[in-house]
Amino acid sequence: MNYFFNKNGPLISTYLIISIGFWLVFLIIIPQLYMFDLSFRPNIPSLLRGGPDDVYTLTHYKHFLFGSETSGESYNYVDVGVFKDTLLIAVLITFINLCFCYPIAFYIAKVASANTARLLIVSLIIPFWINELLRSFALRILFAGEGFINNVLIKLGLIDNGINFIAMDVALYTGLNYAYILLMIFPLYNAMDTLDKNQLEAAEDLGSSMLKTHFRIVIPHAKAGIASGCTMVFMLTAGALATPVVLSSPNTFWFTQLIYQWFNMNDNWPRGAAYSVMLLSVSVVFVLLMMKIFKVKIGEIVR
Amino acid sequence: MSADVELQNVSVSFGNFYAAKNVSVKIEKGEFFSFLGPSGCGKTTLLRAISGFSEPSDGKILIGNQDMAGIGANKRPTSLIFQNLALFPLMSVADNIAFSLEVRGTGKVQRRKRADELLELVALTGQGDKKVHELSGGQRQRVAIARALAIEPEVLLLDEPLSALDLKLRQKMRTELREIQKRVGITFIYITHDQGEALTMSDRIAVMNQGELEQIGSCHNVYESPRTPFVATFVGENNAFYGTVSAVNGDMVNVSVDGTNYLAKAGSLGEGTKYTFKKNDKVIMFVRPESIFLKDQNNQADNVFTANLKAIEFEGNLKNIYMSIDGKQNVRCSVSNAIDTTDLSNSKKVELKFSSRDAVVLPVGPLAVD
Amino acid sequence: MKSQQALNILLGIYIFIFFAYLFGPLVIMSITAFNSAEFPSVTPWECFSFRWFNEGKIAYDGQHLAGLATDWRLHEGLITSLKIGLGVVLLAVPIGLAAALVLTQVHSRFRTAFYSISIMPVLFPGVIIGISTVVLWDRIATMGGGGLATQLGRNGIFLTILAQTCFISTYCFLIFVARLQRFDQTQEEAALDLGANQTQVFFKILIPYMMPAIASSCVIAFLASFENYNTTVFSILSDQTLTTVIASKVRLGISPAISSLALVIILITLVVTILYEVLRRREDKKKKEFEAEALFAQTSGSRLRKAEKNGLKMPKSIFSILFVVVVCIFGFNKMVEKGLYGSTCIAATEKQKKSNFADQLKLLQKNAEKANQISSENGDAGEKKEFDSIFGDPNLFKDFGGFDSKAQEQD
Repeated sequence: MNYFFNKNGPLISTYLIISIGFWLVFLIIIPQLYMFDLSFRPNIPSLLRGGPDDVYTLTHYKHFLFGSETSGESYNYVDVGVFKDTLLIAVLITFINLCFCYPIAFYIAKVASANTARLLIVSLIIPFWINELLRSFALRILFAGEGFINNVLIKLGLIDNGINFIAMDVALYTGLNYAYILLMIFPLYNAMDTLDKNQLEAAEDLGSSMLKTHFRIVIPHAKAGIASGCTMVFMLTAGALATPVVLSSPNTFWFTQLIYQWFNMNDNWPRGAAYSVMLLSVSVVFVLLMMKIFKVKIGEIVR
Repeated sequence: MSADVELQNVSVSFGNFYAAKNVSVKIEKGEFFSFLGPSGCGKTTLLRAISGFSEPSDGKILIGNQDMAGIGANKRPTSLIFQNLALFPLMSVADNIAFSLEVRGTGKVQRRKRADELLELVALTGQGDKKVHELSGGQRQRVAIARALAIEPEVLLLDEPLSALDLKLRQKMRTELREIQKRVGITFIYITHDQGEALTMSDRIAVMNQGELEQIGSCHNVYESPRTPFVATFVGENNAFYGTVSAVNGDMVNVSVDGTNYLAKAGSLGEGTKYTFKKNDKVIMFVRPESIFLKDQNNQADNVFTANLKAIEFEGNLKNIYMSIDGKQNVRCSVSNAIDTTDLSNSKKVELKFSSRDAVVLPVGPLAVD
Repeated sequence: MKSQQALNILLGIYIFIFFAYLFGPLVIMSITAFNSAEFPSVTPWECFSFRWFNEGKIAYDGQHLAGLATDWRLHEGLITSLKIGLGVVLLAVPIGLAAALVLTQVHSRFRTAFYSISIMPVLFPGVIIGISTVVLWDRIATMGGGGLATQLGRNGIFLTILAQTCFISTYCFLIFVARLQRFDQTQEEAALDLGANQTQVFFKILIPYMMPAIASSCVIAFLASFENYNTTVFSILSDQTLTTVIASKVRLGISPAISSLALVIILITLVVTILYEVLRRREDKKKKEFEAEALFAQTSGSRLRKAEKNGLKMPKSIFSILFVVVVCIFGFNKMVEKGLYGSTCIAATEKQKKSNFADQLKLLQKNAEKANQISSENGDAGEKKEFDSIFGDPNLFKDFGGFDSKAQEQD
């Protein structure tokens, strides 16, 4: 400690310690701990908190699994269903995203000339300067009942009445896919960029088919990029709020919207906290799983 | 104003590894002192300990008779010139030089004045407003020196400052550095692995190997009376004859090398004392290449031997003649380019001689590995 | 080889689809900003107009669909976003810098752990960060008993700044770590050796070196804060930022004002990107020229000659810009010709829609009379059959233009 103060001088040491302390303790650790704690407390008015009624309870988690006491069903099919759907679809979308982005990442990293590559990268980045909400709106304009796609299809005479893309969740899935493409491409691109082109040529020279080359050489090398891209896309998709708000139908719900509901509409903050804890746990588990499967360290996952 | 620097039993260790072990040396005021040794010998470590960037794990460092323990680098009366110069790239040359004044709160006008003075001292007049990257290697060297001298330190420490320069520039800078030192009168502590540098510039040299001090002395002293086989072979070139003592006669020793007998001096341990040898001691006899003469040269010599010629190497002002005695012992002899060596050939044996006064006998020990 | 060709064609198609997917929605959205129709659409194209950038329109059901210039909610949201952005920059950049510095000084054993903790916030879902901040400060506010703590704890702007700082600091941290890695430590030592104290070393040596990173951190932090939604929507409480206003339009009504907002943002982005690219190219060129000068100076007298400076070369992009301008002018003329532009067009369309509406009413009336007639003839008491024949007419509500609140003379 002494060494630290000596090295940085008193003024700077204070600044360093206060900044980091504030950030780690006050902004990261304590809020999460408190939220975790709150998820176990009953939903009482804030003035009564800390009083005798404020005991630890599992009611919120129970509610998630079993529903309220007044409903006739044995399990909370709605909430659990939403949770399951959110996670499964997030996984599905992550996978689709991966397949969709892999070729272009490869193309930019290995096949395109330097100038083309730069141009492509810049043009990839531009759409993502635009807010996720606005991009989702663009898709909504496309998919709405009176939207562009329907109009074109009707004009072409392919259909008679508008297809309700929104209710079919097609809009939502496309939107989620669209939102995080950049986060899949860049890790892939970075990982592939470091692959020595000679290896590919050697493989070709030795008679390997394109498919085999990819499976045996490119993919293992880009392992870290794949893990990174998939982790970021999954987590952002599972935790997405902007896109579902704009593109989901009244029948579909994204888990985050459920949390939003508990907070802002039902005013049940502890329950919202409990659901948040579940979402957070899933994210953490996923990250750890990815790190284990792909044998990457956490530093390699973040950009 | 300059000060003397004293190291008393200084050791610097990192965990179990001793970068410097038990080094004691007293450097006089106003002296140009060099630490000479191969990479990893501990000279950089000592320099950083004297500067204040690391504390010795043992022993004391005194500058001007004041114990430096606990005094940080920015409070010591030393200035360090780094190997990579560490000039500030975002500042102009003049700002670099005046930096030490700036941090002490000196006014702008005075700073500029002092910077201009120093620019003149290092022959860079008028370059003050340039940016560092606009200067050549040699010019940057001089900026580094000017910067270090700005607040008139008592001791100037130089960490192999010339190693990045090419040969001609290096030679020029050597002379310049020496002149600057004489003019300014500050104690210079110089570290290098180039013994030519050390010999041309220093008043005294300390030869180091693997963290330990092998010998301290004047240039002549270190060159002509090496204390260990390491010093004998690190400073300058030397021929090592492995043999055994056949007889001892006061300060002179008879050494038998592969059957041939030679007369040589016993090496000195320093402070006037010499090594004492007994019969049958395993020793190395060292004779410098320039002290071995061809038989018909006009020099006094009481040791003769013959060898087979292997090669003659032309080095410009010298010729190096490589030979071997009976295929076992390699010998090298250097003669001035003016000497005629045309009659030497591989088919004939070469006859050589050297004086016993030029031969030094030392106990067996590790040589400097090239 | 045939398969190679086929592969190339496939690749071309794939890339085309990819970029169409990426840009298509945005291009279409931009176009809808100019269509005076109420719902953003390309077909049917009513009129080319700038109304959604300006005054918007009163919808037929009385709702005011504001244009960009008149949407006060949007403006308030924008100002709040700016305030929050500023606050976040002031907090996140120093925190990120501190974390990066400490990372370089921590004992190597703790380095990975410290790094992992610093990265954590980015791995939390944004909603979680927003929620946890609100929840914690609500408690603090309750315990505060009416003082400053209570006021702060219920202040949406304060909470949002804190919540966003949590993870935006990580972005800054990463930027600083990258810059710091290439820092020459010996410069700090040299400064110390020359007598500077640590604070002076920090401000005179380290900060000047970090300046580029500080600048880009500020920009990134501001942008990240500005466009954030997931976290903000929870922490903003009763206030609104630009993003929450946009999101609320889903409920309040989608109008091409959103398209016009998007287009404005796209244009700003394009302009900034192009400017940045131009500036950067100029910097690179200057650097190259300088290096050539230095090389020339060092090798002066040699046979290397300085590249001759040509006259001002026209950048090739001038041509594409000219092309676009020409197309625009041409298209514009055509539009004016066909009467698709301007207020005259709008008035005409409105009239058309209203006449449609009047026709619809007449049709309705006719059906009702007919149904009455039929039921009185048949003796039915109305109900479904009648209802069907009145409202089931397929001609009804065709091309429905919607209601208009202003009283209009009948056609």
